[in-house]
Amino acid sequence: MSLNITSLSKKYNDFFAIDNVSLNISKPGIYGLLGTNGAGKTTLMGMILGLILPTNGVIKIFGEEFSHKRSDILKKLNYESPYLDLPKKLTVKQNLIFYSRMYGVKEFLERIHDLSNKLKINDLLDRQFGSLSAGQKTRVGICKSLVNNPKILLLDEPTASLDPDTSIFIRNFLKKYQKLNKTIILIASHNMHEVEKICNRIIILNKGKIVLEGIPKVILENKKLNNLEQLFLKLSN
Amino acid sequence: MFQRLYAMINRYVILVIGSGPRMMSIFYWPSIQIILWGFFSDFLLNNNLANSINSLSFLLSAIILWDVLFRAQLGLSMTFFEELWSRNLGHLLITPIKTSEIILSLVITSFLRTSLGLIPAIFVANYYFKLQFFQLGFYLAFFLLNLVFVGWSIGFVVSGLVLRYGQAFEELAWAFIFVLLPFSCVYYPLQALPDIFQIIALLFPPAHIFEGMRQIIDNGQVLVNKLMISFLLNIFYFMLAVFMFKKMIKSCRKKGNLFNLGE
Repeated sequence: MSLNITSLSKKYNDFFAIDNVSLNISKPGIYGLLGTNGAGKTTLMGMILGLILPTNGVIKIFGEEFSHKRSDILKKLNYESPYLDLPKKLTVKQNLIFYSRMYGVKEFLERIHDLSNKLKINDLLDRQFGSLSAGQKTRVGICKSLVNNPKILLLDEPTASLDPDTSIFIRNFLKKYQKLNKTIILIASHNMHEVEKICNRIIILNKGKIVLEGIPKVILENKKLNNLEQLFLKLSN
Repeated sequence: MFQRLYAMINRYVILVIGSGPRMMSIFYWPSIQIILWGFFSDFLLNNNLANSINSLSFLLSAIILWDVLFRAQLGLSMTFFEELWSRNLGHLLITPIKTSEIILSLVITSFLRTSLGLIPAIFVANYYFKLQFFQLGFYLAFFLLNLVFVGWSIGFVVSGLVLRYGQAFEELAWAFIFVLLPFSCVYYPLQALPDIFQIIALLFPPAHIFEGMRQIIDNGQVLVNKLMISFLLNIFYFMLAVFMFKKMIKSCRKKGNLFNLGE
């Protein structure tokens, strides 16, 4: 179970959104992908998922080159992002069943029941997705991203626009889920507090390049800083 | 593959059944067209303003057949636009679905939509307005299928353009087909067109199809060569349109705009 990225670049006209990035994630854990707006976090995730074609470089997932085994690899990957939505006129349950079928999940009703219990969305199952609040949508989105029990889960700003209670709930849920399922979770976030709380390792992007990578505590000790926010500000300046 | 296809089609059926306006858009236009032109034909016939029942049969058959083409195109484009409107395409494209499966699901959904809308309309036209539509016999199925393929080809081109260049191009879904209308010889024979337009008309399948239909209704003669040409042209244009649609998806992946669709 691994994600290997070698010399990955994405160029739009004269601008490198991702510039010669190499990354190797082979152990289960929660990985934080940090960076300012426009640092290249979403672009990197988009390329891992095949939504964006790289200009250069190779992405290998589970030892297979993504461009060659796209469909097989995507069965074991999933993603949740505020940039994408689910059909608003379908109920939550209809959406979850739809995506379960798309990923070829067996006994998906049990899976949906189990996940919706854990994410506390049982009472939302018969409601139209479009009628939910931002926090409810996020929980449903995370449920959708777990229907296929992904080996690698990509989350883009999973707690953006959530109240503190829901954010804490989501963070705790993800930590528990990761431990139990030995998943690789890659989280793109601006929330330094959140990243410090749940991430085993962090990867900091700046102007499309990885500028720092490691265990948050060790990085902070080496840099003699108190928290990731200070580090983030230092790097972005 | 079949589970994914089933999921795609089933989701669309749920969406349509749960929405009055969507249901109406499927049934409303074909029936309104038939009723409107049916009454008009009856009026002409009852007042001896039409020279034969055949000329009215031409008219109603042409209207129905043109609507088949239009419905097939709209059915495909609208089904695809649903993904864009709901900002769901990105989620869809990160599932194991292949582009060929998306294409197949659009084609099947469009076929269901078109059939649902037109079958009742055809029966109304045939029995209430005494249109001898079924006198086209086996060739009726051939004409319908060919026109449906023309509709799908246009649908894929329009969907690809909207995907690539944004939702401002949605207007094309309604307008694009009418560029083809004058060259399709729906309401008049090919000879009614100026020479240069005749050449252009013969490059596209509809002119061959409508000419074929007119011959059968007029004197029962089947222009096999015309039907074969329309069939081969259809295969060519359909493959071209699918190729273009796939290219547009790839182009969106290159441009990185699959995240922003629908906004």
